[in-house]
Amino acid sequence: MTENGNLLEVAGVSMHFGGLTAVDEVSYKIGAGEVRGIIGPNGAGKTTLFNVITGEFKPSSGKIYLKGEDITGLAPHRICQKGMSRTFQLTYVFPEMTVYQCVWVGVYSKARRAGTLFFARADRLKEVADKTMELCRLVGLEDKRDELASNLSYGDQKVLEIAMALSTDPVLLLLDEPTQGVGPKEADSIVQLIELLSRRMSILLIEHNIDIILRVCHNLTVLSNGRVIADGSCEEIGRNEEVQRIYLGEITCS
Amino acid sequence: MPEWLLNVLFLLMNGLIWGLIIALIALGLSLIFGVMGIVNMAHGDFYMVGAVLAFYLFPLLGNFWLALLVVPLIIAVIAAPIERFVLRPYEGHHAVTMIATVGISFILQQAALATYGGIPKKMPDPWEVTFNLFGVSYPGYRFLIAGISVVILAAIWIFLYRTSYGVLIRASIQDQDMAAAMGIDVNKVLVGTFVLGSVLAATGGVLAAPITQVFYLMGNDVALLAFIVVIIGGLGSLGGTLVAALSLCSLEGVLSAVLNPTQSKAAIFVVMIIILMIRPRGLFGEPEH
Amino acid sequence: MERKGMVARFALTSLVVLAILGVVLPSGARSLVVQIMIFSIFAMGYDICLGYTNQCSLGHSMFFGAGAYGAILSVMSFKLGLIPALGVALLVGFLFSFLLGLICVRLSEAYFVIVTAIISAVFHLLAMDMTWLTGGDDGLSATIPPISRSISQLSLYNPYVNYYFVFFFLLVSYLVLKRMIGAPLGRIFISIRENPRRAHFLGYNVTRYKLVAFVLSGVFGALSGALYAMTLRYASADYFSFYWSVLPIVWCLIGGTGTLAGCWIGVALMSLFQYYVSAWFTHYLLLFGILILIILKVSRRGMLGYLVGRGTR
Repeated sequence: MTENGNLLEVAGVSMHFGGLTAVDEVSYKIGAGEVRGIIGPNGAGKTTLFNVITGEFKPSSGKIYLKGEDITGLAPHRICQKGMSRTFQLTYVFPEMTVYQCVWVGVYSKARRAGTLFFARADRLKEVADKTMELCRLVGLEDKRDELASNLSYGDQKVLEIAMALSTDPVLLLLDEPTQGVGPKEADSIVQLIELLSRRMSILLIEHNIDIILRVCHNLTVLSNGRVIADGSCEEIGRNEEVQRIYLGEITCS
Repeated sequence: MPEWLLNVLFLLMNGLIWGLIIALIALGLSLIFGVMGIVNMAHGDFYMVGAVLAFYLFPLLGNFWLALLVVPLIIAVIAAPIERFVLRPYEGHHAVTMIATVGISFILQQAALATYGGIPKKMPDPWEVTFNLFGVSYPGYRFLIAGISVVILAAIWIFLYRTSYGVLIRASIQDQDMAAAMGIDVNKVLVGTFVLGSVLAATGGVLAAPITQVFYLMGNDVALLAFIVVIIGGLGSLGGTLVAALSLCSLEGVLSAVLNPTQSKAAIFVVMIIILMIRPRGLFGEPEH
Repeated sequence: MERKGMVARFALTSLVVLAILGVVLPSGARSLVVQIMIFSIFAMGYDICLGYTNQCSLGHSMFFGAGAYGAILSVMSFKLGLIPALGVALLVGFLFSFLLGLICVRLSEAYFVIVTAIISAVFHLLAMDMTWLTGGDDGLSATIPPISRSISQLSLYNPYVNYYFVFFFLLVSYLVLKRMIGAPLGRIFISIRENPRRAHFLGYNVTRYKLVAFVLSGVFGALSGALYAMTLRYASADYFSFYWSVLPIVWCLIGGTGTLAGCWIGVALMSLFQYYVSAWFTHYLLLFGILILIILKVSRRGMLGYLVGRGTR
């Protein structure tokens, strides 16, 4: 568990919607190079937590720090510019743009040069084009780069999701159930991708599949009803009785 | 009592009464938006059709009350097929539906122009009693409008908040998919809401006919006011619509002592802009579909 | 990519045809084509708003009227030359669209539609009321100066000069807008149209880009209004009416939203319809209303958009 130089620190964050408390005093930290899983039953507030951290909602209380900087309440596009990027639970792409263009948009967001916005020919910006192709290759979509995003299979769309999140060159990547609904072979290649990425950036991962969690995560935060009920390394969580009760003994560390 | 104060008081009264009529119309607009998600650009023209029908029916039937009952029936017969065959095919595509209502608006206006003609005409007073207020003779019919409007508004309130069908409509405002999932026949709610909304607009037209000029374009000004009311009150908020209608029309009434009609509208418009800058969803606006 | 090429080829072909028609057509048809060209500029600008950033504005008559009066008043009251008058019109269009955009662009879909409609209705009322400035319904007629004061033959009163003057602006507008759509800006617009939330999370200030689109469409609307006023040597408060806010939508729907030049077909069809039908049928607006319903039935994205299919840009 990394203690110093925390990349992301979530401190006492709560989110109330009217009478409903979706997130209740959640705190955890992520260090550089760490892969942390967020697990918990459905409705535990995992995606809401993502929404709060990435700026869609301003937390009712608590603070969020990225690289030591207070980002609480900043707008989503600013937080993205500061190096945090996310995928969405349901694939959230640009349906009438090609795979290449979808990734391109994100790459340009980070790599834009002054003066190119209005009149430069989009496809002639070499730096952006190269980086886009590199990402397409990384996720294995370079053959399909001229396909419309809406024509892709579900599994490929999931991968495109990740590529788009990567396109803004994040230091912290938030993945919201990246393998949900895909077949085992595709899930495996996604996991391999995650492993590859974990060497370059920190990752916060919402996942239900325990095998995947154990394979990639260093540490876990367990949420239930919006509260953190356990936080620690995989082994520690595996031994935690309350967590076992919730998962009916599914977590086993080999 | 000083004359200027008397003047302002009467303008205020006229404004409030007009506000009740606008409340009916804006309520219809807000219902149609709340339940169907449609911005109905033909709403003002249903008001106009109501007024034109009243103009023809009053001498025909000899009885204003009968006209008040017959017009809603006629409007229901017009509005229901419009919803079913023109609007429902585009359900869910709000921009397209809105443009369809623009088409309907042109058709209604031109139909009125072709039959009723292009000259604004005045209708005789249905109730020729006048009351003596502070030495000024005030038309009793205006109190009648106020009374009828209040009764209708109360009836709508009871309908929406005290009957099971009203609960269906409010449920559909909240969440149409959920309402359908719970076995509510969404199609019936859709056509019922559109008919109800249009009938409210037309009834406003019947009530307003004797106190304004009946003219084939009269719907435009009223629609503008209704939209401003609905924006300020907040789309989908029925209470907000009522409050906004009464306040704005009273304000416009009082302003008309010093400003001409266009300038008063511009003033109301500025109020709307200010409110929008502070609260982009209107005063009581709920999150939309 | 082939589909995108289809629209571009259509546009280029049309431009060539238009260049030739100027000398070939008889005078009645020539004036009609001038109007078609002017409205095509309006329609292209509007497509940026509707087709590229999904902002369904019902208020563009504001910019059309503002541009018309900006030009006519410059010529009449400030005695400016033709080109400076156009410049003033563009400036006015820019200011109007910037200020109104600041209010409207951040509103959610339905509020945006309604508020733009309200704003243009109020401006219409004001324009009708302030007859000292606008001439109200009767409007203002002006004598317009030649394009260049030194070359007096180069005046819009010469129908050929008028035609190619307008053609020049259509050509320039098309090339400028096409370049912008092919630039990063265009791609950002499309991403906002396709999924604004996603674009937001990719680091784009969506409201700011929507404002840029709105202002662009307002400026070209104003240019169109100015050219219209200069061609007819006349502007009236009627230019602010709702009809001029509805027309751009119809043009784009017929021709295909989000295609930039597809709307030219819509302009052509509607202008021909208006020209011929209003001659024999006083209640031509009735047919207009019915036509709108028919167009919606045929395709939601317009005929050309339908043919082009869901294409890439």
